[in-house]
Amino acid sequence: MCAPDHSKNINRVGLFSYLIVEKKISLNINGINVSARPGLTILEAARENGIDIPTLCHIPDLLPIGACRLCVVEVAGSRTLVGSCHTPIAEGMVIQTHSPKVIATRRVLVELMLASHPDACLICDKANICELRRIAADLEVGLPRFRARKHYFPVEDENDRMVRDMSKCVQCRRCVMACKSQSGQPLFSMAYRGFDSKVIYGNDQPLDRDACRDCDACIEICPSGALRKPRKPGEERADKALFIKG
Amino acid sequence: MPQQRVVLKNCEVIDPERIESYLAKDGFKALAKARQEMTPEQITNEIKASGLRGRGGAGFPCGIKWEGARTAPGDIKYVICNADEGEVGTFKDRYILEKDPFTLVEGILIAGHAIGAKQGYIYLRAEYHHLLQHLQSTIDQVTQRGFLNGFKLEIREGAGAYICGEESALMDSIEGKRGEARYRPPFPTTSGLWGKPTIINNVETLMNIPPIILNGAAWFSQMGTERSKGTKVFSVSGDVEKPGVYEMALGSPLRELVEDLAGAKNIKMVQIGGATGRVLPAEKLDTPLAFEAVLGAGAVTVYNRSRDVIDIVHRTMEFLAEESCGKCTPCRQGTEVMAEVLAKFAKNEGSLKELQNLADLSSAMMLASMCGLGQAAPNAVMDSLQYFRGEYEKRVAS
Repeated sequence: MCAPDHSKNINRVGLFSYLIVEKKISLNINGINVSARPGLTILEAARENGIDIPTLCHIPDLLPIGACRLCVVEVAGSRTLVGSCHTPIAEGMVIQTHSPKVIATRRVLVELMLASHPDACLICDKANICELRRIAADLEVGLPRFRARKHYFPVEDENDRMVRDMSKCVQCRRCVMACKSQSGQPLFSMAYRGFDSKVIYGNDQPLDRDACRDCDACIEICPSGALRKPRKPGEERADKALFIKG
Repeated sequence: MPQQRVVLKNCEVIDPERIESYLAKDGFKALAKARQEMTPEQITNEIKASGLRGRGGAGFPCGIKWEGARTAPGDIKYVICNADEGEVGTFKDRYILEKDPFTLVEGILIAGHAIGAKQGYIYLRAEYHHLLQHLQSTIDQVTQRGFLNGFKLEIREGAGAYICGEESALMDSIEGKRGEARYRPPFPTTSGLWGKPTIINNVETLMNIPPIILNGAAWFSQMGTERSKGTKVFSVSGDVEKPGVYEMALGSPLRELVEDLAGAKNIKMVQIGGATGRVLPAEKLDTPLAFEAVLGAGAVTVYNRSRDVIDIVHRTMEFLAEESCGKCTPCRQGTEVMAEVLAKFAKNEGSLKELQNLADLSSAMMLASMCGLGQAAPNAVMDSLQYFRGEYEKRVAS
């Protein structure tokens, strides 16, 4: 019986283990009574029951990050919405994952991300597999109502395993977490603060030739075009073209 | 209602450099009583019965927090005193640290005894560096007199970040990390500093502990209102004749504090609780100062009729955008967007459509942000839109 240690362990296993008891937990999601194993998060319990909650920062099996906030849900009795990826389920919880309040909030969040995102989808190498685009389409978000500065960073293409374009970064921190989960010295960390915060390599230098140890863990989970593999024209794309309705 | 000095009773009375003058004023008698006559359970029950709520702004019941940490499994536990006092317009903790650091240390030691902690930290904001020597000398004197009794009390200095006054970011900072909000649960009482059960209390909260232990919960709970017991120390600044630190029973009307005590005239609005606090217009001056109405950390900034509301709200938002830790989307992006919209209004280039956008954005930030900063960042915008909408409409581009 021990509470999780935030500083060292980044593995999902063990988080909320202090809550684990023998009995299954019964809760109500979107009006349906379900039961789930104790120690699960709301997101995990919802997914086990076939309910999809959007998220841009969650990585299965690793510690929740909680940065993107897209997975927020309504829990009866809670003053604010709660992040479903990091909140453990509790007996008798009544949850709404797609109420009008939740949807309106998620839309604003996506609009906020798009407000400072470059309008480069037409020529973005990951446009067809971009999770941000997919979620924006699902939530029927078009041009954002809000305006914010765009981030302009030069594309880092020195490394032959990975191309990094920080102007497309949505600061989900998946790459930071994924890199930390691999053996060896992590490449990425966070620097600066507020709107200027940024995932940095080293002391905020461009990715160099020797940077990457070729596990590709971060590239595969990057939800936007910020991290990608170098691709020559004519080479096969990662997925088929994305069709967005409407 | 005049001032009522409970927390500040020793300020300007004792010599803050000499422990002897504190001992002459019943110093460390509460600690002796707590250690010799009371079990940890009795102490937390006493604090619970007193109705003491956190003075750092959130108003969480102190006794419940202590009980959580006391009953949490684990041999290693920590007490943290939050002396980051970062909220804009607060300076009460500085006054307390300057004038009566001994009561604070006594409060920390009682807290340590109550939850079973052997180690405590005072997190001192970087801007209070000049108090470091003074505070260390206090701890040294207490140590020499043998009051620590195996407890280890150290000072940790911040590095100037507003967010590090937020309890979870503060713990990250003590751990040597970048100060960022953590998601809860797990709460600090089960998994706080280095993952161990931890209580974090504001300076003023801990100042209330020795008098409660000495005089009893019943004595304490007769002061204040039904849901806000005791007194509160206010930092009054802005357009007033006598800015400074005032202590009043909770539930006292705002008007008595700003007009009668501090001598404010021609009030246009008052901001209570600093940058993330509420804004009240002059008509609302009879609002009681209590957790059930308005309070925060007790920063009271008065603006007279010569001040421009949009200018104040814009600068407040610029500050919050600068100080957001950047971890979660609504706060990082939302404060930036709000600062840009308000800058337009400040330049008479606003639009009515953007007023609706501000409302939608505020609601998302309040609902989805991870910590109190993002959740409370839109307060000044929403309140000023409610009470001073005309001033916004005047700034719409023609």
